[in-house]
Amino acid sequence: MAITGNLETFNFVDIFQILKKDRKDGILVIETGSKNFAVYFKDGDIVYIREVPKVFYVYLDIDFSDVMKKEGLSGEEDIYRALVARLPILLSLKKGKFSFTPGFIRYSDNIKPFIPLEKIIMFLSRHLSKDEVERKISDVRLIFEKTEDWEEVAQRANLNETEQKVLKLINGERTVEDIKNELGIDLFTLQKILYGFLASGLIRRKRHKKRKLGFDLTKGLLSRIIEKIKGL
Amino acid sequence: MFLSEKDKGKKAIKIVVAGPYAAGKTQFINTISEIETVQTEAKTTKDSEKSKKSHTTVAMDFGRIAIDDKHVLYLFGTPGQSRFDFMWDILGKGMVGLIVLVDSTDPSTFHEARKIINYFETRYPVPYVVGANKQDLKGAWSPEDIRISLDLDEDVKVLPVVAKDKESVKKVLLELLKEINKVLESK
Repeated sequence: MAITGNLETFNFVDIFQILKKDRKDGILVIETGSKNFAVYFKDGDIVYIREVPKVFYVYLDIDFSDVMKKEGLSGEEDIYRALVARLPILLSLKKGKFSFTPGFIRYSDNIKPFIPLEKIIMFLSRHLSKDEVERKISDVRLIFEKTEDWEEVAQRANLNETEQKVLKLINGERTVEDIKNELGIDLFTLQKILYGFLASGLIRRKRHKKRKLGFDLTKGLLSRIIEKIKGL
Repeated sequence: MFLSEKDKGKKAIKIVVAGPYAAGKTQFINTISEIETVQTEAKTTKDSEKSKKSHTTVAMDFGRIAIDDKHVLYLFGTPGQSRFDFMWDILGKGMVGLIVLVDSTDPSTFHEARKIINYFETRYPVPYVVGANKQDLKGAWSPEDIRISLDLDEDVKVLPVVAKDKESVKKVLLELLKEINKVLESK
């Protein structure tokens, strides 16, 4: 199924969150009008970024070794050098269409990603705008908790000192407002950090252990509602 | 709560259908309601909105399903535009469940859906499900990708739905009722 959209309303952090969570293999194509980029993913991490004059060029190669030949890459070092040179150009894009094609490209076992995507997500989160952070951290009453593998993710994410302090305070009890007050940091900075944490898989919205109904519903009445709906 | 003339004396059970602008909330309610949905629509004024539809809900929509002599189920649709978000609070009070609809073909609205979920989750933690609407259209995101995009856990059901299709709408409602049942079982 499609993962397509526009960078103006769906930024790289949001896209990377989806690709990382599902550990997707495939090619993310970015079309800005004047430039086209193909970002190669393996297990949800970026392997390589390629610039192509026309989008269909991307789909001429189904094996990554063919991409390497065409790009004049002889080994890991070349891939890394090209990747770090193009990554800032890619990440600076704010406009353009994106589409992700899952699978499609074959990688040999020795092709491994060099930069953890969590690290890129945190880097990008530090540069989000106020409008962007409002999309995820829209309420100071929100409560977050750490995910099961947060320690492993935190290592890959390369957190700075403030981010580490925020992470320490996330315990499934404190609200966004509590953390802001305890650390004495401004809300915008905290929102950016939490946005990055959510996208990288460090934290999640706290699960409600007990949900409440706003009406005194009985099991018998619920059964009647279910039967009624089934019969419609 | 509002009760129509013929429902006076009956107890009203409320389910809220929320979601971003043009997610298909009015259609969803229309498809399942026993009465013609009562709509509070106005012409869309903003250019960005006009390109999606000519009329929009400004206060609420509601549909009705009679359960028995004493009870009636109301489906309330919230206005999708954030400038009418004061209605969310009014509609959220007393609800037994929430359905959040998203347009699966328009990822630019997913952020708004997340805000809506954040709003209701922090104020009215009722059982809820997410309906990934317009699954019949080209370019629809999969429910699983929508789940990740909305920062939802595995325990929240994200269901494929086509709001024009009665069976599809029924399935979403029944899944919500299953979630409500879990709350009753845990009492």
